[in-house]
Amino acid sequence: MNSLAVKRRRFILTALIIPVTLLICFVVFPAFDLIRMSFTDWDGLSSSSNFVKLENYISMFKNKDLWQSLGNNAVYFFVHLLMIPVELAFAVLLNSKLRAAKFYKTMVFLPYIINGVAISYAFSYFFSPVNGAFDNLLEAVRLGMLKQSWLSDPKIVNFVLAFVSLWRFSGYHIVLFTAALQSVNRDMIEAATLDGANAWQMFRYIQTPSIMLMVDFILFDNIRGAMQVFDIPFVMTAGGPGYASSTFTLYTIKTAFTFSNFGLASAMAVAIMAIIILIYLVQNKLIHGIILKEDKHDENA
Amino acid sequence: MKTLDSVKKRSAVVQVFKQMICIAMVIMVILPILLTLFASLKTKGDMVTTSPLLLPKHITFENFKKVFGDKYLLIGFKNTAIILVVSIIFNIILGSLTAYIIERFEFRFKKFIFALFFVGMLVPTFVTEIARFKIINGIGLYRTVGAPILIYVASDLMQLYIYRQFLSGIPVTLDESALLDGCGYFQLFIRIIFPLLAPATATVAIIKAITIINDMYIPYLYMPGNNQRTLTTFLMDYANAQQGSWQTLAAGIIVIMLPTILLYVFFQRYILAGVTAGAVKE
Repeated sequence: MNSLAVKRRRFILTALIIPVTLLICFVVFPAFDLIRMSFTDWDGLSSSSNFVKLENYISMFKNKDLWQSLGNNAVYFFVHLLMIPVELAFAVLLNSKLRAAKFYKTMVFLPYIINGVAISYAFSYFFSPVNGAFDNLLEAVRLGMLKQSWLSDPKIVNFVLAFVSLWRFSGYHIVLFTAALQSVNRDMIEAATLDGANAWQMFRYIQTPSIMLMVDFILFDNIRGAMQVFDIPFVMTAGGPGYASSTFTLYTIKTAFTFSNFGLASAMAVAIMAIIILIYLVQNKLIHGIILKEDKHDENA
Repeated sequence: MKTLDSVKKRSAVVQVFKQMICIAMVIMVILPILLTLFASLKTKGDMVTTSPLLLPKHITFENFKKVFGDKYLLIGFKNTAIILVVSIIFNIILGSLTAYIIERFEFRFKKFIFALFFVGMLVPTFVTEIARFKIINGIGLYRTVGAPILIYVASDLMQLYIYRQFLSGIPVTLDESALLDGCGYFQLFIRIIFPLLAPATATVAIIKAITIINDMYIPYLYMPGNNQRTLTTFLMDYANAQQGSWQTLAAGIIVIMLPTILLYVFFQRYILAGVTAGAVKE
C-alpha cells in the first residue's frame, strides 16, 4: 500500500517536472520579469541597468502616440463587439433547418484557418489605391463616388483594418456559438415546442441561458484580441501613416525591438496585462450578475 | 388545406432568404482569395488592362514558376517542417501527461500548479517576448529553430483543454483495474490511456500545425537570417522584394495559403472539435 503511494508520487513528480519547469522559465518568470524591468532603463544590450523608479510609467502616460494607439485598439474592440449579436444570429441561422448548412459552416470558419500574413497582403491588394479590387467593385455597383484611399487616410484606415480583423475572426465566434447552441438539451427544446413556444421564446428562455457562458468567453476573447492586435496593422500599414493605425502592442514591440527601450516597453507590457486582467475581473462580475438574475427569473416563473 | 399551403409557402420564402444570406457570406469569404488568385494568373500587362475582378484572356503560370524557383521557399518549408514536427511531438507527450495528472490525481501542490497555468493563460502573447528574448538569447537559442520550438512547447497551453475534455470521457474504473492487475503508472498511461486519447491527439496535432505554420511573430523575431526563413516569414521577405508587382506577390500569397487550407479540407472535423474544446471551460 505504502509502496503504491510512493510510486504514485514518483509518477506525478516525473511527469510534471518538465512542463512545469518550462512554464515557469518561459512564461511565468518573463511575466514577472516584465514588472521588474519596467522600473529600469535597460536598453536590451547592456549587462547592467539603472533603477529609475516610476519614470517609465510617467513617460508612458505622457506619450500621445501611445494614447492614439490605444484609441485604435478601441476601434477594433467596438467593431468586434457590435458584431457579436450578428455572429450569434448567424450561428442560430446555421443551426436552424438549412440546406447545405455543413458547407456554410465550413466556409464561415475558413478565414480563421488561413495564414494571417498571407491574407493581410491579399487585403492590401484588395484595397490598393491603384486599380484596386474594392474600388472596382464599388464602380461596378455604381458607388464609385465612395472611393477612398483606404489604407492611407488616417480617418478610415483603422476601420478598414478592423474589417480585415472581422473577416478573419468572426467565423471563430460563429463556430463557438454554434457549438454552444448544439449543447442545448434536446428534450428541453422538444418540451418547449410541445408547449407551443415560438421561435423568439425558444431563443430567449431556452437558448440564451445556455449560451451565456459562451458569450462570456467570447467577450473576454474580444478584449484579449483587441488589446493585442498586431499582425494585421504590422503587415498592412506598419502602423502608418504616422501612428494613425498603430496599436498598443505594435507600439510596445517597436519601443523594445526598434528603439531598444526595453524598460519603457516593459511598462507598456505591464499596462496591457493589467488592462486585460482588470477587464476580465469586471466582466466576470457583470456576467455572473446577469446569469444569477436569469436564475432568479426562472424560479419566479 | 389552405392554411397548410400558406405555411409551406412562408417557409419556402424563409428558406430562400436564409440561402441568400449564406451565399452573401460565402462570397465575402471567397472574394479576397479569389481576386488574389486572379491576379496571380496575370501578366504585368494584364494587371493594367484587365479589371481586378476578372480573369485575363490567357492565364499565365509564370508568377508561380517564379515563387517555386525561389530557393528560400524550400528553406522556409524545411524550417517550418522541423519546427512543426518537433514542437508537436513534445506538445503531445507533455500535454497528454499533464492533462492526465491534473484530471485524475489529487496532490499537495495541485492548486499551485493550477495557478501557474492560469497565469500562463493571462500573460499576453506578443509583449512577453520583451522579457523572454533575453532568456532565449542567454541560453544560445537565438537564430536557431530551437527558439520557436521551445516557445511553442512551453507557452501554448491549448492542448491541455483538448486532452482534459477527452479524459473526462474515459472511465476511472479502467485506471483502477489496471493498477489492481499490478500495472505501473507509466505503463498504465502508455499502454491504456494514451491510445484511448488518439482522437484528441489528432486534434492537437492538426490545430498546432495550423497555428505554427501561420505564426509570423516568433520566427520573425528569433530567426531573422535568410537561411532561417519559415513559410510565413519567407512570404514577408518575398513581399518586400516584389515591391509594387502585385501579380508575383499574389502567387506567393496563394502558395503560402495552401498548406493550412489543405489541412482544413482534409481534417475539418478535428479542427472544429479542437477549437470549441478550448473555449468550453468548466
